[in-house]
Amino acid sequence: MRRICLNVVFLFVIAASAFDIAADQEHWPFSQYPMFSGVWTSPTFMWLRLFGVTADGREFALDANRYVAPFDQSRLPKALRRLIDGPDGVARIRAALPDLLARYEELRRADEHDGPPIVALRLYELEWTIDRHAANVDRPDRRRFIAEVRP
Amino acid sequence: MNAIAARWNAFWFAPAPPLTLGVCRVLFFGSLLLWQLPHDFSPWGAYSRVFWMPIWLFETTGIQPLPPTAIAWLQTIWKAALLLSAVGLFTRPAMIAAFGIGTYLMGLPHNFGQTQHFDTLVVFASGALALSHAGDAWSIDEWIAARRERGTQTEQRPRRAQRVIAGEYTWPIKFVWVMMALIFCAAGISKLRRSGFDWIASDNLALLLLRQQYHLSDGEPLTTWGIWVANHPLAARAMAAMSISVEALFPLTLFSRHARMLLVPAGLGFLVGIRLLMGPTFEQFMLCYVFWVPWDRVLYNAPLYAAHAARGVGDRRRELSAAGTGAGAATGH
Repeated sequence: MRRICLNVVFLFVIAASAFDIAADQEHWPFSQYPMFSGVWTSPTFMWLRLFGVTADGREFALDANRYVAPFDQSRLPKALRRLIDGPDGVARIRAALPDLLARYEELRRADEHDGPPIVALRLYELEWTIDRHAANVDRPDRRRFIAEVRP
Repeated sequence: MNAIAARWNAFWFAPAPPLTLGVCRVLFFGSLLLWQLPHDFSPWGAYSRVFWMPIWLFETTGIQPLPPTAIAWLQTIWKAALLLSAVGLFTRPAMIAAFGIGTYLMGLPHNFGQTQHFDTLVVFASGALALSHAGDAWSIDEWIAARRERGTQTEQRPRRAQRVIAGEYTWPIKFVWVMMALIFCAAGISKLRRSGFDWIASDNLALLLLRQQYHLSDGEPLTTWGIWVANHPLAARAMAAMSISVEALFPLTLFSRHARMLLVPAGLGFLVGIRLLMGPTFEQFMLCYVFWVPWDRVLYNAPLYAAHAARGVGDRRRELSAAGTGAGAATGH
């Protein structure tokens, strides 16, 4: 009886995995594992990034995971992109940014990062031309302001 | 049909002693605990609902994010369950808790905008172990049972012998093998389906390696070697070809010992390469490699190798000593 049950489990898990692979779908923890599967041909790319604004008006990029944890630099921009592209995108972004500002300050007070206190959080869309030595990481070609939030 | 059923059963349920599975349990849960110890899932409960974009599992079951305090409690229980699973105390309930709570906690972040893939194999491996008798070796439970058994005739040993014959200590290991093979193969198929041969023949990987330097990943690349590879098109294309080959061919490891010897280390090297050159954190996935090691053979042979090595060192010392005496004699004329 136990062996029959185990075989049912094996067949179910293999079939569910095969279904996601065949149908190119994702049902975590089953997946078609599509990471990096597209062909990248463009020499440019765009990415959303948060910037902190200090009391003296200086802006700095929150480009390390420690500023936005438990989010990371992959998940957060993708979440924000989904919010922007969804219905009421701007309103949803305005609702989301205060959480991220509060979290930045919470992590700073807990000494989880060494960033300065900030008085505002801004969201930009940055565009880079890929440099063959990645020397322009801190100098995107363009940036488009999307939203700002203050405490 | 009978032949297929026989091969199926031989694959999953080949008789094996409990030792290898026991060692896998210790190493898997122990390393998972060490990896997860500094991770705090509770902040996910504090984000506003606007961030909540439930994945299939959470949407269909109606599971919601708990408040931060509840998540903090849950992860404490989970980490305790990982510890108990590793040391093998109350092993079965601990492994069931580790699987159930772990699925919730590891799944939770994927509801916040992006599904990442470094923990799916951990969920499957935990699930297999939760159903298994992995606590029958290298566990406190087993040690306690053995002490109780001393001098008395209990049912423990005959039951374990039945499990050996029934392949109860084989299928959880094979299950992890099959899931790892499916995952690698799926990733290879995804690349071939969406990009075809261009994934290898174009500048795709070079651009990808450069792009990953711009702080876009869940982890920073541990080296800048990706830039070097990107600037050597042949190296980038060779790496792309190797990546797809390892991924797509990985299922051969299930059937061929030779393929296992080549593709299992290659798959591990591939994951290490991703971490070094691109950033994504597949450390949890790598933990599951403990299931590929035949621990019974390793542990059986380890004392022999150690004795051999010690004998080798002893012989070498004697040789050097003799040479030194000879040299002294020679210099002393």
